[in-house]
Amino acid sequence: MNLLEIKNLHASIGDTKILHGIDLTINRGEVHAIMGPNGSGKSTLSYVLSGRDGYEVTEGEILLDGESVLEMEADERARAGMFLAFQYPVELPGVTGMSFLRAAVNARRREAGEDEVDQLEFVKLVRAAAADLGVDNEMLKRAVNVGFSGGEKKRYEILQMALLKPSLAVLDETDSGLDVDALKIVSDGVNAQRGDDCGMLVITHYQRLLSHIVPDFVHILAGGRIIKSGDKSLALEVEENGYAGLVNAA
Amino acid sequence: MPHKLSEIISWPEQREKAKSYFDSYGWPDNRNEAWKYTSLAHLQEAEFTATSSSVPSKTSPADLEGLSVQISGNMVQLPPKDAIPAGISITDITTDDGARAAAFTYLADNHLLPALSAMHQTSAIAIDIEKTDSASPLPAVIISLTGSSKDGACYPFVVVRVHKGAEARIAELHSSDAGLSCPLMVYEVADDAKLHHIRLQTEASHTTHLGLNQMQMGKNSQINSFAISMGGALSRLETHSLFHGTDAELAQSAIYLGRDRQHHDITSFVAHEMRDCASRQLIRGVLDDKARGVFQGKVRVAPDAQKTDGQQMSRALLLSRDAEADAKPELEIFADDVVCSHGATVGELDENLMFYLKSRGIAEDDARNMLIDAFLVDTLDEIEDPDFAAFMTSQINRWSLARR
Repeated sequence: MNLLEIKNLHASIGDTKILHGIDLTINRGEVHAIMGPNGSGKSTLSYVLSGRDGYEVTEGEILLDGESVLEMEADERARAGMFLAFQYPVELPGVTGMSFLRAAVNARRREAGEDEVDQLEFVKLVRAAAADLGVDNEMLKRAVNVGFSGGEKKRYEILQMALLKPSLAVLDETDSGLDVDALKIVSDGVNAQRGDDCGMLVITHYQRLLSHIVPDFVHILAGGRIIKSGDKSLALEVEENGYAGLVNAA
Repeated sequence: MPHKLSEIISWPEQREKAKSYFDSYGWPDNRNEAWKYTSLAHLQEAEFTATSSSVPSKTSPADLEGLSVQISGNMVQLPPKDAIPAGISITDITTDDGARAAAFTYLADNHLLPALSAMHQTSAIAIDIEKTDSASPLPAVIISLTGSSKDGACYPFVVVRVHKGAEARIAELHSSDAGLSCPLMVYEVADDAKLHHIRLQTEASHTTHLGLNQMQMGKNSQINSFAISMGGALSRLETHSLFHGTDAELAQSAIYLGRDRQHHDITSFVAHEMRDCASRQLIRGVLDDKARGVFQGKVRVAPDAQKTDGQQMSRALLLSRDAEADAKPELEIFADDVVCSHGATVGELDENLMFYLKSRGIAEDDARNMLIDAFLVDTLDEIEDPDFAAFMTSQINRWSLARR
């Protein structure tokens, strides 16, 4: 069964139509990249997938493991295996990292009918995953994202992804605000989670992320539609010629 | 000690002054600027008798250790003399007009709450804390104020004098069942002295609570104070903080928690009279159902109070469409070399934060509770004394669990 199937998806914010019929299928083990110019609907697609309030699906269907998610709240979709790495992770003053991560992991475990992880075991689990991503203990003790640099926030997103083990990971502009070193750490973190259990949708404006996280498929989004699909060479074509040629040809 | 605002007048005279003030003005309603958001019109028709309660039980709250002082209506229970260490003295001054008059003169005239106290005072206690040579800190003094009669009223008066160089820890626990509860607390913190202070109000759901805390600060003194108001039908906590010496520091924060039709009012007046002093106030309120919250905060910086650092921030969180919060911050600055700021916000839970938590699989209700707790927990870091911090945190947790 397909992991994710998006069929003829139309979506609006208020009276503004943003997505005009998107078709996309992702299987487990595949990494798909969505590229597109500013305003093409990339972030809208990520929010519509993850169930953010205020985004209305006016037509079409989103199936996760064959089940429609349109009637599901954001938290239900997450527990069903969806994960969104935010372009701009929000700060949560007063919410300590450990309690937040544990609440998230336990919510997912309860859904799967597994036992909640106990505190000691959880600390070990987090420390191991955090070390791989260069997230130190000091960061884990602080309130979520409060006072983190741009790079730290992105690493923290990938840490959450590593702990939650989603079946579908949507990475929204994960490269924005990262310097070369941070980009490498984050990309390594993402690549470590590639595998037969997980499908990924990597949303990006620039090709540079895709030389670190090499996609199996590349789709160009413009004007709320996918105007061209191909393999990783399509990303290089964009890098070379920009979006204008593709958009005009479509 | 701080200079006196007015001359000592005898207790009978004080009482007469208060009566003539009250006869002229009566209970304030919204037309009175100081009571614009908190009308006491409902008290006009109410008739209360001064409560004479039975001797209170000697047990102090299990989760807070210290010397227990119990005031229930007009009954006072002090700790046994041999339990009180050197450096602390606790005196019942209910029938000592001279002592009452001496303590009372620090209060401003023409003000409702002192007037009520002078007219009706049901009990009065003086607590003196002196500097000791002992290396171990003095125990906390825990003042439990109760009163148990729906048609009764309590007017307890407590003066706490922290003498030069001493360090005191005082907890006020207000849990009256009376119809009207009007506690008046005066704290005189002398030069180089330090006061750790917490105040918890968990009174009955029918109680009108009108509390006044007066704080006087000497040179180089410090106050670390934290209040939680969560009980009562209508509750007003007024704090008047006066700097009488230079280089003093006041940290004074408060949380109010309202549900059903509760009305919580925090009214604060900080008077910077002297130079090089600092005040820092964080006020947080959470309002559910049809509850209403009011914050009025005035900071006045006198012409001579140069280098004043005055910070004030109030935030209210509305959990229901029917809840309401009003804020009136006021800065009156007459000195030119000061750093002062204030701010007041009223808002709902941030949708962006809610979405972030939900996108991690955390259910709506759990996400809400996490954000409400986070909103409050932040301020609890202001409490310096670890026992007091743990006690106040447990009160917030209890409230939080009861909400769910």
